[in-house]
Amino acid sequence: MSPEQIISDLHATSLSALEQATTLDALEAIRVDALGRKGKLAEVSKTFGKLAPEERARVGKLLNTVKQDLETRLDQRKTALDSVAIDVRLESEWVDLTAPVPGIRPGSLHPITHVQRELEELFVSLGFAIMDGPEVETEHYNFDALNIPADHPARDAQDTFWLKDGRLLRTHTSPVQIRALEKFGPPLKMIAPGRVFRNEEVDASHEHTFYQLEGMMVDRDVSVAHLLYFMKTLLSAIFHRDVAVRLRPGFFPFVEPGFELDIQCLICGGKGCPVCKHSGWVELLPCGLVNPAVLRAGGVDPEQWNGFAFGLGLTRLAMMRYGIDDIRLFAGGDLRFLRQF
Amino acid sequence: MKFSYNWLRDLVDQLDTPPSELAQLITIKTAESEGVEAHGDDYVIEIDNKSLTHRPDLWGHYGMAREVAAILGRKLIDPVEPQEFPGSAAVRVSIEDHALCPRYSALVFDNVTVKPSPQWLQQRLEAVDLNPINNLVDVTNYVLAELAQPMHAFDAAKLQGSEIMVRPARAGETIKALNDETYTLNPSNLVIADSAGPVAIAGIIGGADSAISNSTTRIVLESANFNASSVRKTSSRLRLRTDASMRFEKAQDPVNTIRGLERAFALLQEVSPGVRLVGGLADNYRPIPVLPPVVLPLDWLNRKLGRAVPEDEVRRILESLEFRVEEIAPRVFSMFVPTWRATKDVTIKEDLVEEVGRMIGYDSIPPVAPLTPARVPPASPEREFHYSVRQMAAAQGFTEVHNYSFISEDMARVFSVDVSAQVQVSNPIVSDQNLLRTSLLPGIWKNIRDNARHFDRFRLFEIGRAIHPDGEVPRFTAAMFAKDDGASGVFELKRLAECLLPGVSVRPADATQSYEHPRRTGDVLCGETNVGRLFEFHPKMVEGGRAAVLDLDLTRLMQLQPTPERYQPLRRFPESAFDLSVVANPRTLIADIQSALEKLAGDALLSIVFLREFALPDGARSLSYRLTVGAPDRTLSAEEVGLVRTRIIEGMRSAGYELRL
Repeated sequence: MSPEQIISDLHATSLSALEQATTLDALEAIRVDALGRKGKLAEVSKTFGKLAPEERARVGKLLNTVKQDLETRLDQRKTALDSVAIDVRLESEWVDLTAPVPGIRPGSLHPITHVQRELEELFVSLGFAIMDGPEVETEHYNFDALNIPADHPARDAQDTFWLKDGRLLRTHTSPVQIRALEKFGPPLKMIAPGRVFRNEEVDASHEHTFYQLEGMMVDRDVSVAHLLYFMKTLLSAIFHRDVAVRLRPGFFPFVEPGFELDIQCLICGGKGCPVCKHSGWVELLPCGLVNPAVLRAGGVDPEQWNGFAFGLGLTRLAMMRYGIDDIRLFAGGDLRFLRQF
Repeated sequence: MKFSYNWLRDLVDQLDTPPSELAQLITIKTAESEGVEAHGDDYVIEIDNKSLTHRPDLWGHYGMAREVAAILGRKLIDPVEPQEFPGSAAVRVSIEDHALCPRYSALVFDNVTVKPSPQWLQQRLEAVDLNPINNLVDVTNYVLAELAQPMHAFDAAKLQGSEIMVRPARAGETIKALNDETYTLNPSNLVIADSAGPVAIAGIIGGADSAISNSTTRIVLESANFNASSVRKTSSRLRLRTDASMRFEKAQDPVNTIRGLERAFALLQEVSPGVRLVGGLADNYRPIPVLPPVVLPLDWLNRKLGRAVPEDEVRRILESLEFRVEEIAPRVFSMFVPTWRATKDVTIKEDLVEEVGRMIGYDSIPPVAPLTPARVPPASPEREFHYSVRQMAAAQGFTEVHNYSFISEDMARVFSVDVSAQVQVSNPIVSDQNLLRTSLLPGIWKNIRDNARHFDRFRLFEIGRAIHPDGEVPRFTAAMFAKDDGASGVFELKRLAECLLPGVSVRPADATQSYEHPRRTGDVLCGETNVGRLFEFHPKMVEGGRAAVLDLDLTRLMQLQPTPERYQPLRRFPESAFDLSVVANPRTLIADIQSALEKLAGDALLSIVFLREFALPDGARSLSYRLTVGAPDRTLSAEEVGLVRTRIIEGMRSAGYELRL
């Protein structure tokens, strides 16, 4: 047989063996048999010396072509077998992803914490400082300094928890206004969230312990227009939509003029529905321009400075936000309720 | 407070605004309306009493009519026709303390006939929830509802002596009132008395004995002014609120007593024809203080409102509310406050911002952002820290609770708290909840027992203030409950403590409280500083499972937080590790062996980790540690490492420990 014939036959035999190989070992055997240093192609090439130069060139070219083809086909086949092997392994590694997993899941934060945190971040972004005051207050900070007269009904035992040492549990977060003015002086933008106490019988809508957020801005010539701007900005952010607000007269000794701030009913958009008692408006928070007596009590000259203040019921806001209809749930400690937040 | 629409129409010229629209206007400009209801051919507008507390004048229809007239720009019609009451009074009035009774005016009428009031008068009273009784009493109530001036009619024949005395009650004095209740009085209560004793509780209610009856023919008609605070306190002490006391509590205008009598006289002539005035006016009063005018600079007003209001509009508004306006300088008004607004309502120029603001309508003021420099607000690191603790606890599976700040003395005793060192509430909501908590444990204990009814296992925590006589301390208290052996609970909580404050350690407590498990209680330490307590509840405290608690002082926890300021360069030379197992007595502490090993290892020690413990047959513990050693500037040779190891082994042996090698 001519060397060309031998090479062609070898090529054909190797290819058919290759087709039939199902393992990497079989492939390796084919490779060694055909292409190895002592393989059949190497054997053939030893006979080339006897050939005429032009024939040698032709046969050598054929040998190279066959060698390359076999190498390529071997690689392809190897890749295919590799992929089958990994598929088999992966298939055997099936797990049931619906199986429940052990370990601890995160607990949840109190609904008041969520609402309070959101508001604090909002106010900090508007340049307000967050202040704290004691829960046990003096009559001075809770009443006198806030321009609440000595014979005001709020001081009665049916509204205020009095302590045996003459102090009291703060009935609102407003004392922090005075403490903030004393500590920082004007200009000042601050909020003070916290726990407050009223001596009230507890039922689904009344609690003796609840949370408020006090806010105050003191600067030169703070106006009703500024108060409106801040309230509108704040409430639009709280409710994640543009909120229409209105002020109407309201009386609180620590502000003058004092307002009740209403927001346009978010349920009916102001057309009137049971939630807003068909008025189109929902009462949300009391606010006003800080009474000069309060500024003086905080050591600030009301002829030079003035400001606005407002009080937001955090507990009430949380009730609105989550549709909670029983205020007692907040301090009830029932995880069936608390885990929902 | 209820207002009759028809009544308001009598007092406001050409009032044609429909009732519901009028109620809306009143809400926006004056006081909150709570609704409008039809009442026969009338409508009743109900105004929230709380929105009227600072406005004594609005406790009568005439005051509200003045507001309506100002809002709508209509004329106000005064129902009172001025009258003269010449001659000497037929009754003498003495007032012991004018501070409590600034004015007492009275008239005596004869030839009265007691009978039902005419229909129109009865309807008016019924519309505003006043019961018609008889023509005389109805007249007093009509004046009360119209002019906010409470009045009282005494049957003159039943008064003893010729003098009406306004004086504090004597201790123990009693009076049978018109409501048939008998009240026992004390000197803090002001009474109207005749020579025989009290005939009325001043400003609140009349006495039954001198009441108008069908046989009455001669009356003394009282129109007085009483101190608001005194009336409120008496009313509150006697638990007796009346239409009169509600008005006096708001500080009524002493000028109004005469107008009340003038109006009542006119009405009496209509409902009891033939009525005859006996003598002149009895009028005992102290001079009514005239307040200095309030100066209102108009530019200042505009700056407070944030909107320019034309000068003539300011004047129109204030004059329609019957302020007397004088321009004392260009764009500066001086304002005389009408007497019915002067008792406490309007005293400073800020009050006038409200008068002008509400009448122009706050909705006419456009929201404006203030032009103030941007400043970074002062930080509140404590608050931020508390939030990070909350987040960490929640991430570890704990759910946040809130508990009340009140605890009972029984609860204080359960938690070994010294009751006498607690802040005490004078007027607790429930008599036994009279202490302020100095610990969050009582609340957490209740949470555990309550939730154990619904869950087999749970984790919860609270951040709250412990209130001590000398200050408030923020505390963090976390608890775990499981219906099995609770030993894992204390370790989970120890892990939480380590998450909250890296580097904390727990030492078994020297002494334990009765609510603590005596063998599962420890102090949480950071270095030498105690930051709290880790314990399992004594099994007698918790039924159906075990509960463990971590109780930390948040102030100390925050102070001790590590603050990396400069990083440590990464090690450049290889380190070597070897394991050692120490045989120790049953209750030798892992931490104690570890510190002994640390001390012996010296400077070369990079880290030491407890690996495992192995119980030996004789009850001893084999405790295994992995020690890693190295040097910052070179690789330690095998001999050097061996030396360290030998030093430790020999040191432990000479301290009496056996090592398993």
